[in-house]
Amino acid sequence: MSSHGTPPTDPDGQRYEAFVRQFVARESRLRAFLRALLPSWEDVDDALQETSIIAWRKFAQFEEGTNFLNWLFAIARFEALKQLRSRARSPLVFSDDVLDLLADEGAEETEQLEAERRALAFCLDQLPSAQRELLERSYQPGARLHEVAAQAGRTAAAFYKVIQRLRAALLDCAQRRLRAEGIS
Amino acid sequence: MNRDRLDFLLMQWSAGALTGEEAGEFQAMLRVEPEARRLFRRHANLDVALREWSDERTSATPWSAVQAPGAAERNARGVPWPRIAAIAAALLLAGSWIAHLLHERAGRALVMPPIAEERTAQGCAVLAQTLDAAFPADLPPRATGETLAPGRFKLDHGFAQIEFFSGATLLVEGAAELEIVSAWEARCLSGKVRVRVPPAARGFRLMAPGMKLVDLGTEFAVNVDAAGQSAAVRVFEGEVVAHPAGQPEISLRAGGGLRGGSPPAASAGLALLDPKVFLGTGQLQDLVSQRQEERFAQWQAWSARNARDARLIAYYPFKHDSRWERLVTDGAEPLDKTRNGGAVGVVWTKGRWPMKDALRFQRPGDRVRLSLAGDYRALTLSCWVKVDSLDHRYNSLLLTDGYDSGQPHWQIYEDGRLMFSLIYPDPADPSSRAKRRNQIYYSPPVFTAANRDRWHHLAVAYDNQTGEAVQYFDGELVSREVSPFHAPGRPILFGPCELGNWGLPTEGHKFPIRNLDGSMDEFAIYSARLTDQEIREQYENGKPF
Repeated sequence: MSSHGTPPTDPDGQRYEAFVRQFVARESRLRAFLRALLPSWEDVDDALQETSIIAWRKFAQFEEGTNFLNWLFAIARFEALKQLRSRARSPLVFSDDVLDLLADEGAEETEQLEAERRALAFCLDQLPSAQRELLERSYQPGARLHEVAAQAGRTAAAFYKVIQRLRAALLDCAQRRLRAEGIS
Repeated sequence: MNRDRLDFLLMQWSAGALTGEEAGEFQAMLRVEPEARRLFRRHANLDVALREWSDERTSATPWSAVQAPGAAERNARGVPWPRIAAIAAALLLAGSWIAHLLHERAGRALVMPPIAEERTAQGCAVLAQTLDAAFPADLPPRATGETLAPGRFKLDHGFAQIEFFSGATLLVEGAAELEIVSAWEARCLSGKVRVRVPPAARGFRLMAPGMKLVDLGTEFAVNVDAAGQSAAVRVFEGEVVAHPAGQPEISLRAGGGLRGGSPPAASAGLALLDPKVFLGTGQLQDLVSQRQEERFAQWQAWSARNARDARLIAYYPFKHDSRWERLVTDGAEPLDKTRNGGAVGVVWTKGRWPMKDALRFQRPGDRVRLSLAGDYRALTLSCWVKVDSLDHRYNSLLLTDGYDSGQPHWQIYEDGRLMFSLIYPDPADPSSRAKRRNQIYYSPPVFTAANRDRWHHLAVAYDNQTGEAVQYFDGELVSREVSPFHAPGRPILFGPCELGNWGLPTEGHKFPIRNLDGSMDEFAIYSARLTDQEIREQYENGKPF
């Protein structure tokens, strides 16, 4: 399921392996970080891919002992910015000041958000199958909500209302779970 | 912070469905509200969780078609409904959060109805014109301008002109029944048809009982008896190759004819084929122009009555005065010259009828400048437009210069929705420009690829007490909505404004180019909220056909 890029083959196989292992372990956090900065999944996937390539190229410059994740965040933020600049005409693009706020605060919250994602995965598995299938359909890579709505014979607006209610319930469920675990 | 609004925007964001204005609003919230940003990050995070979760389940459960409840009582996975109900009940007892969902009927609402069968059939003709046409009551109604897909076309009486995408034109007189096969082929099952085939459509085939007719670039007519047993054909111009069933083909030239049937009777009995029994194209033309005269006269009478409506702020019937090329006269009585409009760039063109003038907007500079003083408690805007394209994000109908407190904006969004909006300061922070509340009202999409290039009546009515904005398309109510930002009693102002463009875009706006690409042939602005019935009458008295 990983969608990060394939770095050039490294003569030093061990170093490459170390990079991949570290990167993959943080891929999910990077994805969450980027999702809050970019308007669409295509943008997130592109930026993630670019980030992996750049990070691999610069891996030699990474100082052991410093925070690898923050280093990746810095690269990802730059890639997100590049991405946004190239499509500045889109109305969904955040302006620089908002992007900075989101990136700074997002980097700070990364652990909490990761815990919440785990809780969300648990909550998702508790859902009745009809809801599960619906969400699976709606959030599969490449899925577009308005198309899923059309397939289901619903207007986009009506369909979004259903999804919106489910999303609120999921966030609520995750909060309760985290509270029960004493995390939040 | 308006939490409902934020939730809505978060959902739109997640769906990738934010409009430009919504995105601006969303960003403004994120900029000033730490809580909004926190919630946004949680939603982005939820997006990732959902994405990764469904990615893992990618074994892709097939999208099982489900019967609508009531048909066959089964859900997506074939679990009988009573079982779902039992699960729901159990969950309710368990008091879990899902129970809450199910309690709200979301559980039922979520089971997907059957997937609509994908439309593979493409349209292949357009119903270009009708006159006194009546279609069978048991079939869906047909409208002028409608795209016709392959299938039966039945006309009880009256005339219909069908233009095939190949270029062939069929004039049909009811009662008649056709089968449209493709852009290149039709079958006449009964009734009278006249076919005109321009050179580009050579090879167009018309099937009739007992014969196939291949047109080589001509005009011919076919009559098929009501029982669909026998056909007669007459060629008026050019050449037609007839293939009578079981016989060698026959070339028919202008003046020639053939009586077919089972079996076809060669060209015997040609004397019976009096040209007058066939449908003539002139017939429809005469009838259409007669109808146009009538419709125009009816509109003129209504327009004269309307001009005396005391509720009018201004009324532009768009009558071209050749002495004053750039003048767009306000016809509201008593006449007030200060409300005349000035045309910039736009050119005069034909309106709904050949004798009616209209203005054509096309280039980014095209506009009609107006200045409407006063402040109002209600408004109705109505106009007739023919949209050529919706190339811009926003396509102007009427926009005030800038977008200041109390000013209305009326435009067509790129996806074909009507969009009416008013802006007011945030009551909590009246001096902040950034926090102004933009009350936006969208209709469902009303313009589609199929109904552009035709005249449509648009209207919006609003009053500042109820805050309700009601939008109309061709006399029908299409949306009725109150904005969450509404507060009663705030004045509505126009001031300097423009038809078909945005005179003074707000500084730094991403979408300053908003000229209409299309024609406008009437525009009325009232200081009151007109009733559904009044809008309906406007449409009925002004419709082109």
